[in-house]
Amino acid sequence: MSPSVTTQETVVRPPGLQLTINGQICRLDTGSSVAPTTTLASLLREHFALTGLKIPCDQGACGACTVIMDGKAVLSCMVLAVEAHGHEILTIEGLPSDDCIVKAFAEQSEPGYGTALQCGFCTPGFVMTARALLDRVPSPTVSEIKEALSGNICRCGCYAGIVQAVLHASEIMAKASAR
Amino acid sequence: MKPPYTPRVQRSYVGAYRPRIDGIEKASGRAKYAGDLMLKCRVPGLLYAKVLRSPFPHARIRGLDVSQALQLRGVADVLTFEDPDVAGLKSTNAGWTDGVDTLSYERMMWRRFRDRRVLGSHARWVGDEVGAVVAAESEEIAEEALRLIKVDWELLPFVLDPVDAMAPGAPILHPELGDTNVLPEDTVGGADVFVDKGDIDQGLADADVVLHATTTYHNATQNSLDNWNCLIEWSRDHITVWSNSYEAHQTRMHISEMLDVPLNSVRVVSPYVGGQFGRGDTGDQPFFLFTALLAKRTGRPVWFRHSRRESFHDGRQHVCYEGTIAAKNDGTITALSFNSIGNVGAYADHSMFAIKFAPVEATEVAFAHIPNVRFEGRGVYTNKMPACMMRGVGNSQLNLILGRLVDGLGEELNIDPLDLACKNFGHEWEQLPNKSLVTVLRTGAARISWKEKRHSAGEGPTLDGVKRRGVGFSFHPGWHAEWQELRRGEVHVTMTVNADCSITLDAPTVETGTGSNTCNVLGCAEALSFLAIGSGDIHWISTVDTDASPQDCVQTDSSVSFLQSEVMAAASKEVKAKLLERIAPLLEAAPAELDIDAGFVYRRDAAGCRRSVKELLHEASLDPITVAVSRRPLGARTGIPFIATFAEVEVNTDTGQVQVLRLVVVNDCGTVMYASGAEAQQIGGQCIALGESLTEEIIYDERTGFPLNFNWIDYQIPTVADMPEIDPVLLEVWRGEGEYGACGIGEGTVTCTPRAVLNAIYNAIGVRIDSIPVKPETVLRALGKTI
Repeated sequence: MSPSVTTQETVVRPPGLQLTINGQICRLDTGSSVAPTTTLASLLREHFALTGLKIPCDQGACGACTVIMDGKAVLSCMVLAVEAHGHEILTIEGLPSDDCIVKAFAEQSEPGYGTALQCGFCTPGFVMTARALLDRVPSPTVSEIKEALSGNICRCGCYAGIVQAVLHASEIMAKASAR
Repeated sequence: MKPPYTPRVQRSYVGAYRPRIDGIEKASGRAKYAGDLMLKCRVPGLLYAKVLRSPFPHARIRGLDVSQALQLRGVADVLTFEDPDVAGLKSTNAGWTDGVDTLSYERMMWRRFRDRRVLGSHARWVGDEVGAVVAAESEEIAEEALRLIKVDWELLPFVLDPVDAMAPGAPILHPELGDTNVLPEDTVGGADVFVDKGDIDQGLADADVVLHATTTYHNATQNSLDNWNCLIEWSRDHITVWSNSYEAHQTRMHISEMLDVPLNSVRVVSPYVGGQFGRGDTGDQPFFLFTALLAKRTGRPVWFRHSRRESFHDGRQHVCYEGTIAAKNDGTITALSFNSIGNVGAYADHSMFAIKFAPVEATEVAFAHIPNVRFEGRGVYTNKMPACMMRGVGNSQLNLILGRLVDGLGEELNIDPLDLACKNFGHEWEQLPNKSLVTVLRTGAARISWKEKRHSAGEGPTLDGVKRRGVGFSFHPGWHAEWQELRRGEVHVTMTVNADCSITLDAPTVETGTGSNTCNVLGCAEALSFLAIGSGDIHWISTVDTDASPQDCVQTDSSVSFLQSEVMAAASKEVKAKLLERIAPLLEAAPAELDIDAGFVYRRDAAGCRRSVKELLHEASLDPITVAVSRRPLGARTGIPFIATFAEVEVNTDTGQVQVLRLVVVNDCGTVMYASGAEAQQIGGQCIALGESLTEEIIYDERTGFPLNFNWIDYQIPTVADMPEIDPVLLEVWRGEGEYGACGIGEGTVTCTPRAVLNAIYNAIGVRIDSIPVKPETVLRALGKTI
């Protein structure tokens, strides 16, 4: 939990909640729609209408709610809204419109691997997990990709296409930085 | 780069490797699913509904005291089973149709099994929706209100095992249907012995070898990530339902007939759906009804959604098969006999489809040349989660025994089981061997290196001192050719040519991920290729709205991939005729004197210059040209193509762990409509198929009847780290009727894998395991090791 939100402060003077979402500073009065039990996932969806992330399990088992907090992929259903106080959150809506990972997932189609998505419900979670991976490891091996994405479930089973998409995104990034 | 499939006919659009049409919308998170539209900030006055669920496997509610719940601040309404709104509703079934057709209450598929009360008082499994439902300002308040309801439960004895449930003295789940838990015979499924061709005893007497086996298929569930939800408004006399139901028109029929409101007073809207896989049969679920009643009573929009735990709601039928195969020494099969017991759980719903209907279809198309065939099957009620439709319904369970018998017989007769399959199986409309089956099996065998890797059972090399490898296969007839879709009635498509020559395509079907939307756009571009438009010029309407769309073509049987494209192919002449009618006056010609090619209009007598259709449309009146067409599926009985999975496994005889190293998934498609999408189905299906083979199973506490793993931590779905290399193989050998003559493949991609894995395990270790999922302890027990 962020040091600025202590039990004492909450009792004496509700400090409100301040976090940066997709580059914008957002302030919320405590008690408005944010209960102590409100998760970051719920806050982002219900209050900010950032519906790209999904909450299929609400218990950290599927990865569909993944967002990036201070550069790290986190399961937003496992983070309390108050824990995000003072932190920077990046959701899929905050990615640039030409994000190479989004594009690679959308365009995946070469023979032998299928597409990288079908119903698309898990896809934003995969994209954000992959984004955090490529930010950290720009040219990952297949086993590094599998390791990084192993907390995400795609019931449509597009895993082969997903790995290809991440590899393609990594290649696009390498070409862009070479230029 | 892996090799692409080889198309029989090279087409401009159909059959392409290309991105999905919804790729960017979905990958960017912009695609809206039902739950994304139901935020409190977007729906003023929204109430949340939560239903009471039985904590006991079998109990009756003697009485309810809801007074405290009603006093809780934020509670808007509590509806109970004693309320006349609920008590007056008819008994029902959660699967009125298999999705092929839209059916009314009177004509529902399983009308013998109207065994569900909406919000009844008799609970038949842990999790059963009974007694009361609350509408409140938040889900938390609704949950708290449920806790405040005082329920006077009368606990009843329960039974979990179908054999125990058939024994005299077993607690009866549905006394209103009879004094037994065995589902009675009905008009669709038939008698207990529902196939009896030739003379089984004679077939056994004629044989040199007779082999028996028993298999058990466990109870996985669909696990769509998009938990079921609905938002219902009842304003004046009009009901509007937003939901992730995948059958919009059937949902409308269900609500209309159960709540006695006209069909045109119910509007059902289904946007993108996050996976389906047969979930909840066809959506005739009681929760639509009690949510609608709460909306009526409160005058406010009400949202009901399943939590992840509640989404463990129904699943595949747990079925035990006994099978017998008899053959002559040359491999000619003389008899094939099956006896099954299916655990249908608390409610019948569609279970008899799995236990009887699907095997009848398979008999017709695959066992036609076997002289003596017998099927006997029983569905049995128990106090477990109800079974329903799930991808590969019935065929998955049947394949587990069929593939066992063929593999075992091959070993017994010392004949390669691939040869045995080709010698005996095929449909009645052609001579054996079946060309599709032969090509599917030969291609699969080559891709897995069958000849090199297949050895006598348990005789392969040992790696690292403890690891044994083996290969296995299984095959099955497909079941989604056009002639099998006749019950759909008309398949509808509306194509609109706008004044700028762009196309708006209303090929209504709820988009659950299957890729049929991309098939439709490719089919439309192909049909209108005379306009030289690209798939990017076609806008496919992604939301089904029963107020605006024609009948939706339901994502069942995986056949939407081609049915609507066939209609478009047939309708392209009408589009051209209407265009010429519009354009002809501008060229001072009669429409019959003109034709269109490559986007240009020209005179058939070659006089005058070619003019661009787009230009001319701009000069003519600017109202769009709309062609609404519908066509019944073609009924010519063309037989069916075959499917197969080949598996290579490595078994650690020390730990019992089974690692699937490679899967080759082979589908004869007739015509590949969209290659990347078809391969995604072949690869994607293996998530369910491998999960069912190795890990997925609902575990009950036998003492209390309580399910123990209704979550994704204890119920394990394969992730990217668990999946082997998968080789998807598309073939075009068989051909159906119509422009494309395609066949649905998506559903069947899960069907052969569990048996292929089991046969490969046998090939590796030389000991049979005939029950899935195969967990390490199962392997160790089979090897005679202590755990």
